[in-house]
Amino acid sequence: MNAKMDTSDACDLRFGQVGIACVRVRRVDAASLCDELERRVRAAPQMFSRAAVVLDLSHLLNLPDDGAVDALLEAVRSAGMLPVGLAYGTSETEALAKRMGLPLIAKFRAAYEPISGGQAAVEPAARTEPAAPVQREPILSAPAPGSMQGAQHHASSVRSGQQIYARDRDLIVTGAIANGAEVIADGNIHIYGGLRGRAMAGAQGDEKARIFVSDFRAELVAIAGHYRVFEQIPDDLEGQSVQCWLEGEKLLIAKL
Amino acid sequence: MTAEIIVVTSGKGGVGKTTTSASLATGLAMAGKKVAVIDFDVGLRNLDLIMGCERRVVYDFVNVVHGEATLKQSLIKDKRHENLYVLAASQTRDKDALTQEGVEKVLDGLSEDGFDYVVCDSPAGIEKGAHLAMYFADHAVVVVNPEVSSVRDSDRILGLLASKTRRAEKGEGPVTQHLLLTRYNPARVAIGEMLSVKDVEEILGIEVVGVIPESENVLTASNNGIPVIVDANSHAGQAYSDTVARILGEERPLRFIDVPKKGFLQRVFGG
Repeated sequence: MNAKMDTSDACDLRFGQVGIACVRVRRVDAASLCDELERRVRAAPQMFSRAAVVLDLSHLLNLPDDGAVDALLEAVRSAGMLPVGLAYGTSETEALAKRMGLPLIAKFRAAYEPISGGQAAVEPAARTEPAAPVQREPILSAPAPGSMQGAQHHASSVRSGQQIYARDRDLIVTGAIANGAEVIADGNIHIYGGLRGRAMAGAQGDEKARIFVSDFRAELVAIAGHYRVFEQIPDDLEGQSVQCWLEGEKLLIAKL
Repeated sequence: MTAEIIVVTSGKGGVGKTTTSASLATGLAMAGKKVAVIDFDVGLRNLDLIMGCERRVVYDFVNVVHGEATLKQSLIKDKRHENLYVLAASQTRDKDALTQEGVEKVLDGLSEDGFDYVVCDSPAGIEKGAHLAMYFADHAVVVVNPEVSSVRDSDRILGLLASKTRRAEKGEGPVTQHLLLTRYNPARVAIGEMLSVKDVEEILGIEVVGVIPESENVLTASNNGIPVIVDANSHAGQAYSDTVARILGEERPLRFIDVPKKGFLQRVFGG
């Protein structure tokens, strides 16, 4: 007989929204993958060191063999990150994951809509995870990584479901950003139009990044992972030109 | 001479895509153009009902895509306008029965047959049927109701038109976008229950090509299998005529967007 009756459940089991970085492999080259990731970890250790990583092989023309995948996983490990699974892909990826004893992790977002549009039906529904902007993969990838370059300019509107990412630089948008659209930059973000969607600056951890908006109606703004959601936009900010910046852990927003 | 392909789309269901497709195709035919209107809503075919030709469907779009029938066999000639043809959807198949190559073949075939316009009636959603309906388009009529969920879905569709079409993929210049506001009720806009034309234009960042007032005539016309544009006495019909004229390049002022003023007798007796 149990001396003590504990009627509460031994655990909770649920699908939560956790931040997992996704490494999209563009070519099967373990050495350069390791170099590239090491560079990223060094750039933002608090963000990427021992970060959980999902390996996405869907951009490779042919799925590499088990040995090559092993080498890629080892490369991620030696760069200081922790591979925890493979990203959802074709049935071959599924078989591969089974052989490697790794979980298959469903793709997170609309950003992963297949280019062909053919297999859209098998994709799980898009999900949003406001807390972890840094770990997202963009639809529009910026030019090759390097040091801070000039700003990326987007001249038209960003429609619902679209995502613009300026890697390693500032982003300037001269159109409106609709509800459900996202603009992300590793540097500052300047928006000369209405912001009704989301804007995330300092996506790689730059806490000095700022967001400038000429017509503020945002769903969410974030800087270096610190975010604020607006269920109701404060009356004194709605429709105003504002700037957002980080003071310590606090995300501040003020009229310009 | 290639046919201009116009997709009528919206993202959201029930906003008036099929009603618009039927009236747009009929309006273009009334302007002397040779027009085909295709129902892409495989599995939930409706266009033939609105066009009043449901009892004359022998072969459908899917049959042509699969090479089981020729275009000639499947095109149903409209009973009112001799240069208007309907290509019905299949009710028994699903959207996977359509293929990109098959759709392209049908559209090329219509071009060769000397059609000026092909109107593609898109299903709701952003899946395969809707994707194929918009993929080959030169023009898009995005149908939107004055309410927030419809506006948001239209925004998504506008984004897809700019990225997931043949023109976008081949860099052939953008698909011409026309925003059509339907089920507009000026009285409800006035008391703040509906978004105004200005609100919708502001949120989506493009101008409307037409505003169709909410009207009982639309339902009556649909139930009778007559596109509402044929009813020249109804406001909705007149608004559709204006819209077609604007799409053909004519300038016309927007009508029926203000609350109608009550006449003297109506004010005395109520109404």
